[in-house]
Amino acid sequence: MTNDRKSGPPGSDMPGPDLKSERDQFLKKFTRGAKLTEEFLREVEHLQDRLHNLETENAGLRAKVEADDAIRDLLAKIERLELEKRELLSRFHRAEAKSSEFTARVQEVESEFANLANLFVASNQLHSSLSPRGVTRRIKEVLAQLVGAERYCMYLANSEATELIPIAFEGVAGSALTPVKIADSELGQTLVKGAASVSDGDPTQGTVARPAAIIPLTVDEKTVGVIAIFSTLAQKKRFDTVDFELFKLLGQHAAAALVSASLFAHTDRKLPGLEAFLDLSV
Amino acid sequence: MAEYSCLIVEDSPMMRQLLVFALARVRNLRVTEADDGVDGLRKLASARYDIIVTDINMPIMDGLKLVKRVRSDPIHKDTPIVIITTEGSQEDRQRALQLGANAYITKPIQAPQVIATVKELLKID
Repeated sequence: MTNDRKSGPPGSDMPGPDLKSERDQFLKKFTRGAKLTEEFLREVEHLQDRLHNLETENAGLRAKVEADDAIRDLLAKIERLELEKRELLSRFHRAEAKSSEFTARVQEVESEFANLANLFVASNQLHSSLSPRGVTRRIKEVLAQLVGAERYCMYLANSEATELIPIAFEGVAGSALTPVKIADSELGQTLVKGAASVSDGDPTQGTVARPAAIIPLTVDEKTVGVIAIFSTLAQKKRFDTVDFELFKLLGQHAAAALVSASLFAHTDRKLPGLEAFLDLSV
Repeated sequence: MAEYSCLIVEDSPMMRQLLVFALARVRNLRVTEADDGVDGLRKLASARYDIIVTDINMPIMDGLKLVKRVRSDPIHKDTPIVIITTEGSQEDRQRALQLGANAYITKPIQAPQVIATVKELLKID
């Protein structure tokens, strides 16, 4: 009998031991292959997941880079805008300073104009009357309305130039005003010096004995009298630049206007004839 | 640009001249002068004014009577009135404000103050 090593016992369809071993080896290999395949599939799956994750990460990074670029652009734009803002602010401050300067200048001009208007009106009024009473009334009006004097008196020197005689006053009783010796009085000293004397103190607190201001009156460079402002209205706490200009104007024009009016009155208000002006050409 | 008219009622020629000079600085303001309250009423009867500037102490008709008459005039009952007073006449000022005056200026007047007061009442910039 032929004994096939691949065959099992005779009469049996069981494989022989070699075949069995071969089968077992095959099954082992197959099982290992299947395991490897499974591992491979798992690895593929894992790699796919990893790829997906990397792709997501990549997309995120790309978006981030894009966002960074946008931020860089925005930052550059902000910087440009900041620069523009600084320039505009600087221009605005310069314009503002210019505007304030201009406003101050306008106020200064307006104030100067108001002062000139006061001086013009005072001068105009002093010379708008040819009656001594009218001139006196206007002098008083300038003192009261423009200077803000409340109590005052106008004195003229007597012909001997020894005394100052009160000729017009306001706010004080006539009995309180008597002729004043030129030699030993503040009024007389102002007349002699020919320069206005203004007290440093509050002009509202001046008195007859200590006037707030004394203004010498001149005619043709000769001092002929004084105006004494004893005190001012309650709201007139100090003399301003325009008041000093008014003092100067009164000093130079008040007495001249008064003298002209007196001379005109003495001629019975007759105007001089043409012959009086014929020799005036220079 | 709108044109405004102002009536100055003041007996002192000097004060009138000063007020005219001051108000000449207000653009488009036409100024008319009246010597006293009666003259002022006469002028108010013949024309319409946007603002009145009046002294208080005046002969014939003073500023207080003028304010009272203006407030009973249907044409000028709402016209702004500025009164000019001296610091000592606080009672007159109060009375004028009670009668319907809108603002006051004390003497000695300052042109910038007059201009500012008139501009404010006329609502001019």
